[in-house]
Amino acid sequence: MDITFWGVRGSYPVPGAATVRYGGQTSCVEVRADSGARVILDAGTGLRALGQRISRTGGGVPARHHILLSHVHWDHIQGLPFFEPAYVPGTQIAVYSSVAAADELRPVIAGITRHEFFPMPLESVPAQFEFHEVEPGLGFTIDEFQVMPIALNHPFGAVGYRITADGSSVAYIADTAPFTEVLHKRHFLNGLEPLTNEDRATLGQLRADLVRSLRDCDTVVYDTHFLPHEYEKFPHYGHSTPDHGLEICAESGVRCLVLYHHAPSHDDDMMDDLAADYRQKGAAAGVDIVTAREGMVLAVGAPA
Amino acid sequence: MRLRFWGVRGSFAMCGRNFLRYGGNTPCVELLTRDGERLVIDLGTGATELAKHLMKTEFGKGKGRLNILLSHTHLDHIQGLPFFAPFFIPGNRIRILGADPAGSTLEATLQNQLAPCYSPLEGLENLNAYVTIDSIVPGTTLELDGFHVQTAAVPHGNMWTTAFRITADDHVVTFLSDVEYAQPDQPSPEAIALAQGADLLIHDAMHADHEYGHRRGWGHSPVAAAFAVARAAGAKRLILYHHSPDATDAMIDAVVADAQKDSPIPVFAAAEGTYLEL
Ligand SMILES: [Zn+2]
Ligand SMILES: [Zn+2]
Ligand SMILES: [Zn+2]
Repeated sequence: MDITFWGVRGSYPVPGAATVRYGGQTSCVEVRADSGARVILDAGTGLRALGQRISRTGGGVPARHHILLSHVHWDHIQGLPFFEPAYVPGTQIAVYSSVAAADELRPVIAGITRHEFFPMPLESVPAQFEFHEVEPGLGFTIDEFQVMPIALNHPFGAVGYRITADGSSVAYIADTAPFTEVLHKRHFLNGLEPLTNEDRATLGQLRADLVRSLRDCDTVVYDTHFLPHEYEKFPHYGHSTPDHGLEICAESGVRCLVLYHHAPSHDDDMMDDLAADYRQKGAAAGVDIVTAREGMVLAVGAPA
Repeated sequence: MRLRFWGVRGSFAMCGRNFLRYGGNTPCVELLTRDGERLVIDLGTGATELAKHLMKTEFGKGKGRLNILLSHTHLDHIQGLPFFAPFFIPGNRIRILGADPAGSTLEATLQNQLAPCYSPLEGLENLNAYVTIDSIVPGTTLELDGFHVQTAAVPHGNMWTTAFRITADDHVVTFLSDVEYAQPDQPSPEAIALAQGADLLIHDAMHADHEYGHRRGWGHSPVAAAFAVARAAGAKRLILYHHSPDATDAMIDAVVADAQKDSPIPVFAAAEGTYLEL
């Protein structure tokens, strides 16, 4: 199994000279089994280039694609209307998300292509779309992939996924805040709010479930949007630091932590420094730390 | 009047080495009068860069005042809105003006963009600045702090966009994007009227002429349509705008070189970061 990073940026795409090396497109990771089977994690702006690659290598033959969404914030879905295979008749696209039944995934996804926003409405797109609701803790399979959704701590809810195939596992943990100061629910936070005892218990449970779900996972891609001094200013934004990711991964016995969902303000030079710093911190804690770059391919599974 | 391009790319923000000279950010243009009055057109990802610049001025202190015109609400023209930092500083007074999309209102559309499932802002009411959203009727004229703006609806695929003729400091800039006429050599009379004698015409030129064949009906112009408007209206300079996401720097260079060959007026491709003095 290997993973390819098509978009590594959080919040919005960042073109320009400052992001040439790490990349400016938003959340999108491709997971490939040794057999060639594929699942796609998130449909941020990185999905456009992945779609072009699929069109070029697939010989225009319609296929079935699986897209697992962590949540439906714009930076995780904005690439969907630009996914070339969707315009090939006969293509099937299965979209998975934890969007609660009350909201229903189809209208939410159709909402991003309503005529005010995009020239072609979802119902006119040639591909056939299927929508699946996932629930944390309830595993399912896609081809040879075993998929386990994991609850995260993010405004309006998000889920991570642990994906097992070819004898190893990769997990995708984005977007999430740490499990200490804020419990994200379904209302807007302008800053920190006092936690109730019940909130603390819920946070403890979320954290324990995450640590358990990542137990002995080979590679974990984690939302590490902020540096610690940035997190201090915006603890209510729903994102973590590399230190938060490392703490969880060390506790779970993870081999490799991939820093991901980089803040738009982090230019290539900052990313170089951050990557070097955390490679050392990871080594000290017994975890390999790799910083995601657009175009990077990582083999999942202990090196032979 | 001074003009700066913050985003010139159509449809999709493009990153990487092939897009550095013309820029990969989606549409956003800033206009400044001699007296320092400011007008912004569109809030594509270019607006996030403009925002950084504005935060170093009175907008960082909550004392900024700004009018923003939206040509329409396709995502490439509003995707920078949730990240436009002046919106988060209490005290800033920002007015967004644009036409209502068919069957909706401008305010409802922007509210949809910030709906809780799509955006952690969870609604326009959570912007800390004093933000007002005003629907305009294309065809009317607006007076916006030193800018006299004539508006008109122009065809854009299955919808309409609003085009602007902006007069300030005795100069005229006409902004015509995103637009596609029935025939590239027959621009609509509204477009020609809006560009009449303009010092600068900024026009949608998403497609090179040789590519236009398969992209007819997508709502965007080939370079030839931009020329047809400039010629019929007697515009003094033409800027090609809203570049295709597939157009690398080298491809845009080639389009411009070709366009300049037999052009009676100066023609350029819009490039991010460029200042133009009128
Ligand atoms: Zn995100
Ligand atoms: Zn998010
Ligand atoms: Zn556009």
